[in-house]
Amino acid sequence: MSAGRAPYPGPGSQPVLQIRDFSVVYRTPGGDVRAVDRVNLSLAAGEVVGLAGESGSGKSTLAYGVCRLLRVPALITSGSVRYQGRRVSQPAEILTMRPEELQRLRWREIAIVFQSAMNALNPVLNVRDQLLDAMRAHLKIPREEARDKAASLLDLVGIPRSRLRSYPHELSGGMRQRVMIAMALATEPEVVIMDEPTTALDVVVQRDILAQIVELKEHLGFSILFITHDLSLLLELADRIAVMYAGQLLELATAGEIHHEAAHPYTKGLLNSFPSLRGPRRELTGIPGSPPDLRHPPPGCPFLPRCGYGTTACTEVDMRLLPVATSADPEHVTACPFVLPGTPAPEVLSAADDGEPRDLEIAAEQPVAGQLRTAGEPGS
Amino acid sequence: MSEQTLKSAAAERGPLAMEAISVSKDFRIGRGQPLHAVRDVSFNLYRGAVVALVGESGSGKSTAARLLAGQERLTSGKIRLDGKQVEVSGRRAFRRYKSEVQYVFQDPFASLNPVHTVRYHLERPLKLHQPAANASQEVPALLEQVRLTPAKQFLDKYPHELSGGQRQRVAFARALAARPTVLLADEPVSMLDVSIRLEMLNLLDDLRRRFSLAMLYITHDIASARYFADEVLVMYAGEIVEQGPGEELTQRPAHPYTQLLVASAPDPDNLGSALRGNARRQLPQGPQGLQASQAREQATVDGCPFNPRCPLADDRCRREDPALVQISATRAAACWHLDVAAPELVPGPREVETRRASS
Repeated sequence: MSAGRAPYPGPGSQPVLQIRDFSVVYRTPGGDVRAVDRVNLSLAAGEVVGLAGESGSGKSTLAYGVCRLLRVPALITSGSVRYQGRRVSQPAEILTMRPEELQRLRWREIAIVFQSAMNALNPVLNVRDQLLDAMRAHLKIPREEARDKAASLLDLVGIPRSRLRSYPHELSGGMRQRVMIAMALATEPEVVIMDEPTTALDVVVQRDILAQIVELKEHLGFSILFITHDLSLLLELADRIAVMYAGQLLELATAGEIHHEAAHPYTKGLLNSFPSLRGPRRELTGIPGSPPDLRHPPPGCPFLPRCGYGTTACTEVDMRLLPVATSADPEHVTACPFVLPGTPAPEVLSAADDGEPRDLEIAAEQPVAGQLRTAGEPGS
Repeated sequence: MSEQTLKSAAAERGPLAMEAISVSKDFRIGRGQPLHAVRDVSFNLYRGAVVALVGESGSGKSTAARLLAGQERLTSGKIRLDGKQVEVSGRRAFRRYKSEVQYVFQDPFASLNPVHTVRYHLERPLKLHQPAANASQEVPALLEQVRLTPAKQFLDKYPHELSGGQRQRVAFARALAARPTVLLADEPVSMLDVSIRLEMLNLLDDLRRRFSLAMLYITHDIASARYFADEVLVMYAGEIVEQGPGEELTQRPAHPYTQLLVASAPDPDNLGSALRGNARRQLPQGPQGLQASQAREQATVDGCPFNPRCPLADDRCRREDPALVQISATRAAACWHLDVAAPELVPGPREVETRRASS
């Protein structure tokens, strides 16, 4: 096992994974669906980056696209993904890799924990053979050593060794997910992509597994890209959070900034969507409506039809991530140039106007508090 | 139970609609011991009130709802609807019962028939349960009640043309078509996105008020129960281990299992400290929790069902199963060590009876 590594070293450190201007479309007879639209995101060594968004926001497409795991009709139309791990001498461009290079990269350097552990595990292989399988494909180590390693991997994720001979159907959901994590860690990857690894689990088991993931991360020093629709989970788990909507990143900041100084109306909406157990009861507003059709994305901001702060200027906004004017943290960026963290919430929408674009004329008459800037102008 | 009778926190909302009295359900698995899926569970549903049944998967919460829905036969116990004991025998009786008691399933992708339109899904229950109703007027009205507007746009759509939230709305509308008095909602929002869940819960709440439905809300998310339910019942391994008003129960849980549930919920205000520090130390279960979760896989546990995972477990807990004991006018919990688990609620040792477990 590699030496421990300090947790997230802070902004500006050498990224392990650098995603630039990354776009993916799904080519359908009805036109291209822009699933991921010009996304920029980096993952530093030892960092946990959370990717939050609703279903269909493109978060899984982004993660799989980065590993080039997407199949036709998905097409990567632009961008660059640079990987710089400890074991590779110089940055490697994933998007131009040859198949055998990709084969070496996947699992060895970047591993994925899939959402549905039942479907991702082979039902006719027992736990040990699953683990051996992963190791044999990606590591060149003697059989005996691999067996020992399989046993110690189970220790690592807290499953008794007696379970090595169990088949997936004999394990509980939590244990299956632990086996998936053990498989991902078998090759000591630098980056682990976790696609909703705990969504199907109970809260108690979920918490147990998350604590384990964090412990392993501190111990082994890998980075995590954690995909979920549950923002409340990310607030506790992630170092930085990227909020994704309709294929675009709308906001990116540290967990603390997102929690206390969320700037984008969509992030604010997400924060106002989950009931909390602790503290006083809050007035929950949620986000009425549903995401736009990505075959015909609306001009400007894709969140506009559901946004309570919307003005006519929003139809022309350039969706670049710019620093939040009032934030002390220059790394806190948002795609909404109009709304600031302190901007008071507009009138709560009645749920009746479900998905219908509201009358922009009326909305525009309401003064938008905070600093107004022309769309596209760089933040001061 | 103690002298003073336990009052349901949901009772203030309206008249009693449905009672489950010492309901049990055993499943036989092979030749081994029967699995006690639901053990000696009693609770009441009131018109216009929401009772939440909270527990992990396998705790028996869905089985309890299926018993109320008449879809499983009781092993023992009674169910009363409007004071009359329910005897569901034969198709006609079952249909009559279904007019009163409707069920909403977790997965709107699986519960709607992919070859039928929204109109068909709603006309059918209308014909079966409300033969006098005029379907061409009623169906659009139902869609409007669940806020699928304009109704005309949705009538001829197939399930695959709808989003998850819209499908679940159709499922609600279908349940309402029978004009039930009781609505059993089995994890109605857990398959939906976080951003839509709240809207759906608000819709359910609105329907509850408008039709004064007696609602059973089944969930594993205790935080949503806090906001949505009048009374919360916490189930563990087929038994109710704690019950009380949502706010009180979640803010000051008495039973060690409820405490574990509350401690496990994501806590944004904690911002990483709990998980990134040593989260396990904060949980009542400790690192031996893993072995404990295996113990749970065994079909039966002697004594208190939670004892393999409980930090307070002693010999008595491993031998005898505690009954629910009243701890305030509206709250009860089943634990031998309530005075240790929740000293602020139960200052001194309390007399607890052994549960009359049906074993």
